[in-house]
Amino acid sequence: MLLALGASGCVLVRPEQREFLAEPGMTFGSEGIAGEQEEHVLSNREGSYGAGSVTGGGCGCN
Amino acid sequence: MRTAAALALATLVFAAPARADTAQIDLFSTLFYEFGGPLEMLVVNPAARVRANPIPELSLNLSYEADVVSGASVAVVDAPSADVDAITSATRLDDFRSVVSGGLAVQSPVGTLRGGYAYGWESDYTSHSFNLGARTEAFERNTTFDLSYARGFDQVCNLAQPRAQDPVERRRLDVSDGCFDGNDPDRAALDVSLQTFQGSWTQAWAPIFVTQLTVTGQLIDGFQSNPYRAVWLGRSAAQEHHPDNRFRYAASLGARLWVEPLNGSIHAHVRAYRDNWDVRSITAQLSYEQSIGGALRVRGHFRYYRQGAAAFFSDDYALRPRGQYFTGDRELSDMESFMGGLSLVWALTPGTEGADLGPLSSFRLVLKADYIHNEFPSFRYARARVPNVDAIVATLGLEMIF
Repeated sequence: MLLALGASGCVLVRPEQREFLAEPGMTFGSEGIAGEQEEHVLSNREGSYGAGSVTGGGCGCN
Repeated sequence: MRTAAALALATLVFAAPARADTAQIDLFSTLFYEFGGPLEMLVVNPAARVRANPIPELSLNLSYEADVVSGASVAVVDAPSADVDAITSATRLDDFRSVVSGGLAVQSPVGTLRGGYAYGWESDYTSHSFNLGARTEAFERNTTFDLSYARGFDQVCNLAQPRAQDPVERRRLDVSDGCFDGNDPDRAALDVSLQTFQGSWTQAWAPIFVTQLTVTGQLIDGFQSNPYRAVWLGRSAAQEHHPDNRFRYAASLGARLWVEPLNGSIHAHVRAYRDNWDVRSITAQLSYEQSIGGALRVRGHFRYYRQGAAAFFSDDYALRPRGQYFTGDRELSDMESFMGGLSLVWALTPGTEGADLGPLSSFRLVLKADYIHNEFPSFRYARARVPNVDAIVATLGLEMIF
């Protein structure tokens, strides 16, 4: 993936092409507290932990 | 002490909106109800979070959440036997956990630095947790890197028992009375130290496609057994005995694809997990989110989870012991879980559907409901299978941005 990124000149999506990436559904962690509470429930009822979604991605507007 | 710390944090955050450009208040509550026989469990998890930006470069947040737990649990997990009925002799369980936390984030053109602190307390457990994080974006915001580190200093209440005592002779804690008051010679506070490292790489590959790779490592050192639970070892029962050290690591890959003709998005997420207790798991999740009009989003999702048992798990320690450790924790046995549900987000901004929101710049209502079914093929309460294998999780939330 790093090679692909370098070969493309690093900028794969220009700012004017971000219309769909700005949609809430395209942002990781957009579930907010509801997502955190679901992770809390599941990590308490299963033997595993970690590597959940980190907020961000999407439009890169933040 | 607790009150003073909470007041100081509240002053810090609530003083800010006088000069604030934006502020946000989130109110959420999640209900978890696990049912099936006498081992039902109800957990209500209300949460409130306030965020304020006194200046664009600074964000402050303060939150409170609680877990209100009631149900029943099996105190002594027995080996297969005809004359033991562990389930109907389960003990009642009621607990109340509170967590207050605060943090700040400083933004610059280079990236964001953040830090926070959380204090949690309940009748038999306390925790102090500090976290630090950093985020930066590159290649015209096509790429985001995020690193975080959290350090926890927890204490769990237990019966005061000599450390040199043989684990098979240790008794379980029956009630939390006297915990942390310093005057009860029968109670001891045992330390648990936690360190969590996480890194993520988020990448926009195309105008309709973005991925996120996340890696987590966690080190836990200290008492990690359930102090209330005992395990039948043949001649007698002893408090369950887990190793003091646990190293957990997980990696996940998420992808989101915009489906332009449908005005919706497909989300896929896979995770692999392993730890030094030899618990291994794989998780796969698939969702589809549909935008309806300008204000409504509906998401359907399905999640599958499968794990293998810890190296020291046995369903009969009298006949099949697994070394020096023994556990009665069903979450350390082989396990399979299926979860499916729907969520709905109704987001309004001034003018959307003719809305007049007054001082609000936006308003979101979140409704979410899931059904969970678990399978524990190798875990038994005496001869009985685990009865409480089905659960519902429902969330109601409100987000108000000023």
